[in-house]
Amino acid sequence: MSALRLISNRTSQQSLSNSDYTWDYEYYEYGPVSFEGLKAHKYSIVIGFWVGLAVFVIFMFFVLTLLTKTGAPHQDNAELSEKRFRMNSFVADFGRPLESERVFSHQMTEESQSLFHFCINEVDHMNKEKESQKGPSLESSTHFQEVPKSSGMFEEDLHCLAKFNIPNFVNTEQNSSLGEDDLLISEPPILL
Amino acid sequence: ENISDFSLNITDCTQVVVPEEVFFTVAAAGILENLLILIAVVRNKNLHLPMYFFICSLAISDMLGSLYKTLENIFIILCKMGYLTRHGDFEKKLDDAMDSMFILSLLGSIFSLLAIAADRYITIFYALRYHNIMTLRRALVILAIIWTFCAGSSIAIALFSYEAATVIPFTILFPLMMFFILCLYVHMFLLARSHAKKIASLPSSTVQHRTNMKGAITLTIFLGVFLCCWAPFVLHILLARFCPHNPYCACYMSIFHVNGTLLMCNAIINPMIFAFRSPELRSTFKKMFYCSK
Repeated sequence: MSALRLISNRTSQQSLSNSDYTWDYEYYEYGPVSFEGLKAHKYSIVIGFWVGLAVFVIFMFFVLTLLTKTGAPHQDNAELSEKRFRMNSFVADFGRPLESERVFSHQMTEESQSLFHFCINEVDHMNKEKESQKGPSLESSTHFQEVPKSSGMFEEDLHCLAKFNIPNFVNTEQNSSLGEDDLLISEPPILL
Repeated sequence: ENISDFSLNITDCTQVVVPEEVFFTVAAAGILENLLILIAVVRNKNLHLPMYFFICSLAISDMLGSLYKTLENIFIILCKMGYLTRHGDFEKKLDDAMDSMFILSLLGSIFSLLAIAADRYITIFYALRYHNIMTLRRALVILAIIWTFCAGSSIAIALFSYEAATVIPFTILFPLMMFFILCLYVHMFLLARSHAKKIASLPSSTVQHRTNMKGAITLTIFLGVFLCCWAPFVLHILLARFCPHNPYCACYMSIFHVNGTLLMCNAIINPMIFAFRSPELRSTFKKMFYCSK
């Protein structure tokens, strides 16, 4: 018994760089630390660390705020209408009724927000494939519509995809009163 | 606390003591909250989605972190009361197991946050192919790989924690992952900004130009909370490894208990900023509580 204990003590001492093992925070197993002749304040690391962390977080916040600032529009009109047409034809591909008279509601559902993002993304990526003239030609501006609950074909996918919870720059809450900063698509609604 | 039993001569920087009641309350709250999330996700079939599985993974790592702190406190109390010897072999093994639980919790947190960020990234940038890219099976496989890797490295780090070679990669991994997560979210932000620009440029829209503050605030909270809760502890480990005899480092290490409490606060805050943002999860909670009454 005692031999075993000796061995275990020895191995533990081999693995430790300092005094023998005790059940506690080993970080505090070190010898006496002298506090003579300190030039700076003794808690300088603590203060410096927390100040540095706070500065970093605030800096990150400002950088992110700058990133989310919406700039002035400077796009070409032709380019705009082309993109809109592609977006419309893309929307038409999924067989949902395109009603140009519908007013874009202030309270977007999760589904339509998701679809909006799909449209914006995929239009940019699928330039070549969507050249066919599908759907009615819509000369007016792009319309965003609420996905009717009975749309069927794509609804399940949209339901699933709409449940993602990305950072709140896209508001996925259905019934919340949308404040000024909540939506990418801001008030007032886009009237067609 | 056991600190008074040390043969330390730190006369000026005494340990900052956190009352045990505070410790246990914070730990218990963290464990309960994350357990609730796990139960809610398991019970509601609508929540069997990759996104919620990643949130569950985060909840599990938070629970492990709080559990580690609770168990450690319990064992220290037992030591103080004399039920456990302080030089025993069994206690050493127990301590190693607890260290590996803590490292597992830290690595699990980091990788879960990374998985959540990657999942959101794929949702936005590969929106239509999301269902094919992130199937349920793939999400589970990813989680299995993550947790196997974390378990393996935590055991390895705990066993070889006295080598500098294990401490350095551990502390490099932490800022690296944070930076990667930040990049993912910044890219998502840039897309959001280009969306807003496109909408603003539509001729019939009367959108005003303004900043979208909520996104910046949300992301700052995400990363700021993680940083503020984990970085003090990681710095402590670094200092303990490299400059234990330096009086400045020793003073930093004297606030060890405060850092530990911050860790457990992270377990409480994480569900609020990830899980409770989802309306579906919130309604599941309401149903759970109203049904039980």
